[in-house]
Amino acid sequence: VRKDAHTDCSTQENADLSPQSTAVSPKTSAKSGSKNNGTTEPNQSPVASALLTKEQKLEMLMHLYLARYFDVRLIKEKKKGRLTGTLYSSHNQEGIIVGSLYGLQPSDWISPIHRDMPAFFLKDARAGLDNPDRMGMSIEEVCGQVWCKVISPGRARDNWSHIGSKDKRIIHSTSMLAGTIPVAAGAVLADRLNGQNTVVLTYNGEGSTAQGVFHEAVNFAAVHKLPVITIIENNQWAYGTPTHLEYSLEDFARRADGYGIPGLVADGQDMFDVYDKVMWACDYARAGNGPSIIECKTFRAYGHGDHDDDRAAKYRPKDLVDKGRERDPIAVAKRRLVAEGILSQADADKYSPEGKGAGQVSDEDFPANVVAYLKKGVDAAIAAGLPAAEEGGKWVFREESN
Amino acid sequence: MATMTKAPATSTKKDYLTAIKEALVEEMERNPDMICMGEDIGLLGGAFGVTDGLQERFGSQRVYDMPISEAAIIGVAVGAAMNGKTVMAEMQFIDFISCGFDQIVNNMATYHYRTGGEVALNIVVRGPAGAYGGGALYHSQMNEAWFAHSPGLKVVVPSTPYDAKGLMKAALRDPNPVLYYDLKQLYRLREIAEELPEEDYIVPIGKAAIRQEGTDLTLITYGQNVYHCLDAAKKLGEQGYSVEVIDLRSLVPLDEETIVNSVKKTNRVVVVNEAPKTCGFAGEVVARISDLAFEYLDAPPVRVTRMDTPVPWSKPLELFVLPTVDKIVAECLRVLKF
Repeated sequence: VRKDAHTDCSTQENADLSPQSTAVSPKTSAKSGSKNNGTTEPNQSPVASALLTKEQKLEMLMHLYLARYFDVRLIKEKKKGRLTGTLYSSHNQEGIIVGSLYGLQPSDWISPIHRDMPAFFLKDARAGLDNPDRMGMSIEEVCGQVWCKVISPGRARDNWSHIGSKDKRIIHSTSMLAGTIPVAAGAVLADRLNGQNTVVLTYNGEGSTAQGVFHEAVNFAAVHKLPVITIIENNQWAYGTPTHLEYSLEDFARRADGYGIPGLVADGQDMFDVYDKVMWACDYARAGNGPSIIECKTFRAYGHGDHDDDRAAKYRPKDLVDKGRERDPIAVAKRRLVAEGILSQADADKYSPEGKGAGQVSDEDFPANVVAYLKKGVDAAIAAGLPAAEEGGKWVFREESN
Repeated sequence: MATMTKAPATSTKKDYLTAIKEALVEEMERNPDMICMGEDIGLLGGAFGVTDGLQERFGSQRVYDMPISEAAIIGVAVGAAMNGKTVMAEMQFIDFISCGFDQIVNNMATYHYRTGGEVALNIVVRGPAGAYGGGALYHSQMNEAWFAHSPGLKVVVPSTPYDAKGLMKAALRDPNPVLYYDLKQLYRLREIAEELPEEDYIVPIGKAAIRQEGTDLTLITYGQNVYHCLDAAKKLGEQGYSVEVIDLRSLVPLDEETIVNSVKKTNRVVVVNEAPKTCGFAGEVVARISDLAFEYLDAPPVRVTRMDTPVPWSKPLELFVLPTVDKIVAECLRVLKF
């Protein structure tokens, strides 16, 4: 079934296959292979990324730089007191965002949460970051939201990542974790009824999987074989609680077993491994086989939010954090591209923000086009106005009827 | 209240349940983008038969038998509605809505607001509600105040077959989420069955109905308490008092105009609801009257509600805590003689 569902997959090996990045742990694939009722999952490393062109791989690297630059720039802005609200850093987790988004079709849906802020402007980025018609948000819109300005897609009514766009097919989240998975299921259910073969990627922390609605939504998607791909960003910490106090098993992908759906483990530090697993899940879903869960192993670089950075040392010893941040996704990507001869070592060394905290990097660590792109967004956000006060009382109800 | 008996098959009068069902069938016919989701609503036709025959007629891709997952029912409805569908989401009993509470108050209710008007959700969440049937704690609730307290939700409580059909149609055409309370004790009540118009009609959301005109006191209520209030008005009439009975029908939005006009006329008011007293909707009605018509009052506005208890099972216990005709009459007399 896998070969039918994934005909564009060659057998070429992944160049940066660390022990952690083994595509699917043998126990996972063996177990669910025997238990699943008509579903299947890859029994070897899928390598959709082998079909990416040199230019596409370099574009993914550029997106990775962009995600990191967005993150560090915002941290700096916040520290200078220029932003209100809490920042939830995606630092060290950007490979999941870039790798999962890069192969999506423009009409596919995404449902990002608080640690996926770059996803809003990286969705359908292949259509051109400056293309106003692409199915992703502009950097001006995203920065407008971060700066709490009226140009935000949600007109600055709810904070941080709680924005979306029906037209761009980005689902608006709330603070209630896993609460948008059923919404995602409903969105693709409607697409299916309309004859559209789309998928939805939902992003969740591993902590979210303990919510009741996670179970209810994934169960419903499995029953109806809905194309809902649940990405679990396992960054080892649910705010201040370690994974062993959240779930009794090592791999959160095993959550899938109870629903009879594939549960894959990806190396969240390797965007190409994430890309491979997500592409497999997309093909599987588009072929009508239904949902899957992809656990991306990663490590949260900072506290839960920037309000928590100073207190995070209480529950996360420094040596643990240092070890967790050893495999920076930018370094992993560059190593692979150098090994494949796509990137020269000299070019790889030219921009090196990897392994550096927000306080240690400068604009020189990033390509000029990346810096320029974000600058447009920041400038627009700073120039934009705040919403008019009376908007606070508007849009409780839609006035006109159908 | 009269005991529950089925309408005879020969009658062309429609009972309350049939009225809801007709509204669903007609709207499913009218709107190809409408779907229904709920527990046991397809093959079985619903615990009470409200959706009987619906799946047979419209197929399993429009009428979904859902897992026992109220949060998923609401959440999936939100996603489908966000993407252009109209959804009727049934709670098997309105008591069970608490299992989907977060999806309703934080997700569905706020969607239009937090998207700055971008997304409007055409969803009706409905389910059998109300006490007086020996349903005990978890099959008797009226929890409308939870949702009236959550900005972004409209709340309707029909008391007649005509309103049940007309409000359901209005709700299914409203671009906002609507909480719709079916009164399960009224479903098959023969005494309230009535002829329904052949032609398409709606009952506009936000308009109260004056069920009986009067000049001495206004009874304001909704749902099955309408019938308790009409009985109380009759008894008071026998004692020479002319009592007006207002059936709110919609709690959100609230028809303040009808309320205020009546209070201006009668100068005395008693508000009745079967939910608990503290923070119940009757309290809200009293507060609005204080805001808008205080100078017209000749007596304190009074509430008759359930005691601040759950709904117990055994009949004497149940009637002890709930509003009854006798309790309403007694409170009206207190206000009339103030």
